[in-house]
Amino acid sequence: MKFIPRNARDDVNVSREHPLVEAGTLVVGIGLIFVAVLIFLIFLVEAVLYFVPEEKEIEMFGSWLPGDLVTVAHDDPRLETLEQVVFRLSRHWPESKYTFRIEIDDSPQLNALAFPGGLIIVTAGLLDEVESENELAFIIGHEIGHFKNRDHIRGLGRGVVLGILFTAISSSDGGATLGASIADLTLRGFSRRQESAADQFGLELIHQEYGHVADAWRFFERIEEGDESFIDLVSYLSTHPPPKNRIEDLIESAGKNGWSVTGDVSRLDW
Amino acid sequence: MEPGTIQNFNLFLNFGMPILLIAFAYFIGNYLENRHFNNIRKREKELHGYPITTFESLPASWQVGKASLITGNVVVSLDYFKRIIAGLRGLIGGRVKTYEPLLDRARREAVLRVAEQAKKAGYDAVINVRLETSRLANSRGDGKGTAGVEMLAFGTAVTLDKH
Repeated sequence: MKFIPRNARDDVNVSREHPLVEAGTLVVGIGLIFVAVLIFLIFLVEAVLYFVPEEKEIEMFGSWLPGDLVTVAHDDPRLETLEQVVFRLSRHWPESKYTFRIEIDDSPQLNALAFPGGLIIVTAGLLDEVESENELAFIIGHEIGHFKNRDHIRGLGRGVVLGILFTAISSSDGGATLGASIADLTLRGFSRRQESAADQFGLELIHQEYGHVADAWRFFERIEEGDESFIDLVSYLSTHPPPKNRIEDLIESAGKNGWSVTGDVSRLDW
Repeated sequence: MEPGTIQNFNLFLNFGMPILLIAFAYFIGNYLENRHFNNIRKREKELHGYPITTFESLPASWQVGKASLITGNVVVSLDYFKRIIAGLRGLIGGRVKTYEPLLDRARREAVLRVAEQAKKAGYDAVINVRLETSRLANSRGDGKGTAGVEMLAFGTAVTLDKH
């Protein structure tokens, strides 16, 4: 027996493909899969919208409240004011099939939300920052606008879509979260467009109610001025258009319709 | 702080930072890997002809003088770039090509360490060489996700008396 020395071979166990080529293929390929899944799920949500008309939605969610909602006392004076504002604004949308309900979520966050079945939830933190009834009316009008466009169902769909994507991803390694972030941002783009549409409807409602749109965007102006007391600004901004763009759009819209931007506003002091 | 600034900052945190990290990890990891491979090739050349075998026993006519257990072990960590790519790979399946060089480096380095030790100690050959892997390094606390590759090579170094 003879021992024949050989060199170790370099090219057997290591793939020759350049790592960047693999990276590129994977990123593009998985990106495309993500986009396809997203489009499919968005389509699915639209299909739900089509097959679940308002009547059905109201029947299903008419008395539903989110499980984690911390409500305030039933005789809270703020609740009464809110109910009045909702009632007055909804009169200007007579075709609506919704009977609106409004609740206060006792949290320091800054948000107003539209839920299935005509439920509007305003956080106590937002109420603390609101200075006039007109500001409040615009925020509520904006939420009613979400019902008009049925964005609350889309919002629900968005949550489900993201939930599915995150579950798909959490089962693999950390890197793929980038894909989820991209999906999240895409959907937020959709959500911002919905916010603008809701803004337009809200503005129309308060013009019909008050005869002017004074103070409508005062709230956003204060955000824009960078009031330090706005606590949860980052999470608020992530789903809503930047206040500056919103104000510009609202001013433009008011100008186009010839709506007066000055008028009597009623202060709120609670 | 202006809301616009906060948004840009958020955007940077969400997208800019990971991409920057991946790029850095790629260039540094690639540099270190190439350096290691060059080093391995050089040392393999120096040891060219030194017998490292998997035979369990030698032919009966060969006279063994000294014999000793020799071990060589290596832990090679993977970098962020490799992990990201492997994570993407984990979504669709297939060969995890970015991990292959790691295993190759670890195996060859471990065997080299065995050979270098044996040669230095004056042994003529190493027989019955075996390779083992274990999983010490984990990327997460729950023990999921390998953060590196561990390789242990061991064998019996022998001196052969002339007969």
